[in-house]
Amino acid sequence: MADPARVKTEVVFSETSTSTDRPKQSEGSSDGPVNASTTSEPTAVQTSIKEEGKGRSAEDTAAGEEEDEASSSLHPPPATKLKVEHEKKKEKRQKVDEDEIQKMQVLVSSFSEEQLNRYEMYRRSAFPKAAIKRLIQSITGSSVSQNVVIAMSGISKVFAGEIVEEALDVCEKWGDTPPLQPKHMREAVRRLKSREQTPNTKHKHILFH
Amino acid sequence: MAEEEDDPGFDEDVDDGGNGAESGQGKRKRLFSKELRCMMYGFGDDQNPYTESVDILEDLVIEFITEMTHKAMSIGRQGRVQVEDIVFLIRKDPRKFARVKDLLTMNEELKKARKAFDEANYGS
Repeated sequence: MADPARVKTEVVFSETSTSTDRPKQSEGSSDGPVNASTTSEPTAVQTSIKEEGKGRSAEDTAAGEEEDEASSSLHPPPATKLKVEHEKKKEKRQKVDEDEIQKMQVLVSSFSEEQLNRYEMYRRSAFPKAAIKRLIQSITGSSVSQNVVIAMSGISKVFAGEIVEEALDVCEKWGDTPPLQPKHMREAVRRLKSREQTPNTKHKHILFH
Repeated sequence: MAEEEDDPGFDEDVDDGGNGAESGQGKRKRLFSKELRCMMYGFGDDQNPYTESVDILEDLVIEFITEMTHKAMSIGRQGRVQVEDIVFLIRKDPRKFARVKDLLTMNEELKKARKAFDEANYGS
């Protein structure tokens, strides 16, 4: 009875510890050495420590409590295990978001006035939803939902950004100065087309002829 | 005008798109002039971009939207444009895909927040 249980728990823990590279202290069973090592970087060290910790706690549970409260993570049916992994990933993602938000704040606070202006324009400029909706509806002939308009405006802004950035690259490469000229824009479009970042349905690929 | 004669591609687009009785790009009213100027400044251009460049960019954006719409109409549910189709078409381009996901998620969150706010007000 004890042996299969212990084997099963160790297998479970080696899976969960390799799937995340941050030690999570949420799942009860492993305290002590794992929590002490929360700040260490190398994941190999962490996983080995985790497995040691899990091994110890697996013995405890095999000896005593088989109940699900503290050891819900030790005897998880597949559904609970997936849910646990998903929560761990969500926590990790939230922490990464917070880091990124903090870094952005530090960056923006150190902007000069001109950079602040430009950043404000970058964030605030948008295509008017009414005009986009009218344009799409004139093409489809039927009405479209609001989400479609939101998605299309967002993608168009990214598209415009890609062209402007590429044109600025071209401008710099040709030794010209900023107000972008049509020749820069056209060269930028040509480059993006060759990289297939611009949609082009004008050429039919005839495979066998 | 000279730029448009050099680039027959742009004129062909309008004729195929069938936007009214105009025959050339120059005759259609400019839809996005103001917003595009702000956008170009935000993306790194000068504070006053050239009008011809803004025009070219507007034509490109309209062509992009037109192509996406046509493609979206041809996949999934025919003749209609749905969000899933757009997401499918964009899947290969990481930047645009991430942006669409973000926008739709934020929209959902805002809707939920507004609904919760309204219900709170209704209760009190």
